[in-house]
Amino acid sequence: MKQSLLDIRNAVTEIRDEDFNALVLRCLQEGHTPMEIVEEGLARGLEEVGRRFEEGEYFLADLILAGDMVTGATDMLREKMPAGETGRKGKVVLATVQGDVHDIGKKVVGIMLGASGYEVIDLGTDVPAAKIVETVRATGSSMVGLSALLTTMVHGIGEVVAGLVEAGLRDRVKVAIGGACCSQRLADEMGVDAFGESAIAAVRVFDGFRDGAAI
Amino acid sequence: METMSPVERVLRTFEGKPVDRVPVFCAMLESRTANEVLGKPLISSQRSVGFPLTRLFLNALGPRATGPFTRPILAGLLHRRNAAQVALGFDAIWAYYDDTWFFLDSKTIALTTGSLYNVISDGFGNMTYMYRGPGIKSPEDFDAWPHWPRADEVAHRVFRYYKRFISRYGERACIFGCGFFGGLQESMNWTFGIDKAPLWIRRHPVYVKRFLDIVEEVTLKTHTAILDAGVRVVVQMDDFAYKTGPFLSPRMIEEVFGERYRRIIGNVKGRGAKFVLHSCGDNTKLFDLFLQWGVDGFHAYEPTSNVDIYEEKRLHGGRATIIGGVGIDYLLTERSRDEEIVEKVRELIERLAPGGRFILGPAHSEDSIPAHKLRVMLEAAHRYGGYPAAS
Repeated sequence: MKQSLLDIRNAVTEIRDEDFNALVLRCLQEGHTPMEIVEEGLARGLEEVGRRFEEGEYFLADLILAGDMVTGATDMLREKMPAGETGRKGKVVLATVQGDVHDIGKKVVGIMLGASGYEVIDLGTDVPAAKIVETVRATGSSMVGLSALLTTMVHGIGEVVAGLVEAGLRDRVKVAIGGACCSQRLADEMGVDAFGESAIAAVRVFDGFRDGAAI
Repeated sequence: METMSPVERVLRTFEGKPVDRVPVFCAMLESRTANEVLGKPLISSQRSVGFPLTRLFLNALGPRATGPFTRPILAGLLHRRNAAQVALGFDAIWAYYDDTWFFLDSKTIALTTGSLYNVISDGFGNMTYMYRGPGIKSPEDFDAWPHWPRADEVAHRVFRYYKRFISRYGERACIFGCGFFGGLQESMNWTFGIDKAPLWIRRHPVYVKRFLDIVEEVTLKTHTAILDAGVRVVVQMDDFAYKTGPFLSPRMIEEVFGERYRRIIGNVKGRGAKFVLHSCGDNTKLFDLFLQWGVDGFHAYEPTSNVDIYEEKRLHGGRATIIGGVGIDYLLTERSRDEEIVEKVRELIERLAPGGRFILGPAHSEDSIPAHKLRVMLEAAHRYGGYPAAS
């Protein structure tokens, strides 16, 4: 790997954000394509951050700091990418269920999914089930990630599942949940396909959906 | 063993001394549950805030309405929630009183430390709030924020509230006092945004220091006020962790908050009182650090997080009092069966009561908790919690 790509990867891995954008620009000037920088530099670096997070060496704040670096760089590179190169792994609709406005976990999941090659359609917080179902239909997405923090709002998960069934979409759409009040028990109770415990686990969950379903 | 008073039972538990039975703690109550216990107020909080004239008034006056109008309403609401815990018969209650919340407009309440919350319905006829986001998004916002708390004034009001509360309820329950919302890290998360707080620490350390100076001063002064009023246990909420671990690394937590917490806890313990830290999520990697700071007891041990309450008892139960254990995600909701609550209480007591330093209670409070589920928990704790049978 070229030194400049390695520098980007290492900067992300070690969460060194000083002059990071200049490093990315230098890489472009050296002739690397935006996709090379994303895949070989940013994504690899973020993968390593994720690994260190799972091993307990890094913490949520480190994911946020690294995610901020990668998001800033990706936004800069996206303008220079040919159409169709972004979101190659498919579209994921993310939302915090109706009645709940907590979204830190969902934001971090979105960053990790985006950096891993997914096109993330983040509908925000307090989202009615009907809007989520309509977005799935309109975008052709086959994956949905729902966030819920409050026990009082978990019925919103069931409403999305019921909405997908009613719209005849459930068979082709995988649904995952995450958030403070979520558990495998709740996933089973609500009839969703998976529960992701952390942002890094969420990437595995959606990769698993892809492996098991034609996108 | 002779039957003890709730205060004696709880304080002896903190000391690791023998008690007659496992004490039971209530981790605050929301209005829905308090209303089930005390009976509904004549005009619900949702209706009083939602009344068109009130909305007009709040939209017109905003923060200026805080003193004369909203503070007494807020004080009344909080008092009902505290009194209902005593009425239920808990040995220890989390008496929360913080009247620094104010209306920015009819749909927004704010904390003086710079965070914003939506005014919403709890689904049971009461007004409640839900975090909307940071009130301070840049150093310029910080400099321009006009509502920073005045520590001495806040402390005076806190003192008056707890003085009255203790004189009325101090014999019936051990009061855990809490006079200001949020601890050092949690306040920072709400004010700057959870996803932005690490960026502030890195990019704006001077502002972080200024912010923590403000919160530390109010915390120290409200704690002193609570203790002066006669409270023997201070509970500090500060969510250092989430579902799977701490937000920040233990090293960074020590760097940013360590000295400040040593001063805060030293102030409480220097007065002969106990310091309880409520921190949601999985704090497994932080308990040793918290003990170094001088914490006497920990509350939450949320079952939906990865923390292992039994392992914590084994590791730290000889030095710290473990408080909580009963989940609010399922057990203390309408979805559970009463037998499941009884079974869990029995299991917690069997495994955590031996050796003492265990206070049973819910991991949190939420609108989803019906009063009758708390009563089931209490009755089970009374039935199975007697020493020496449990030990």
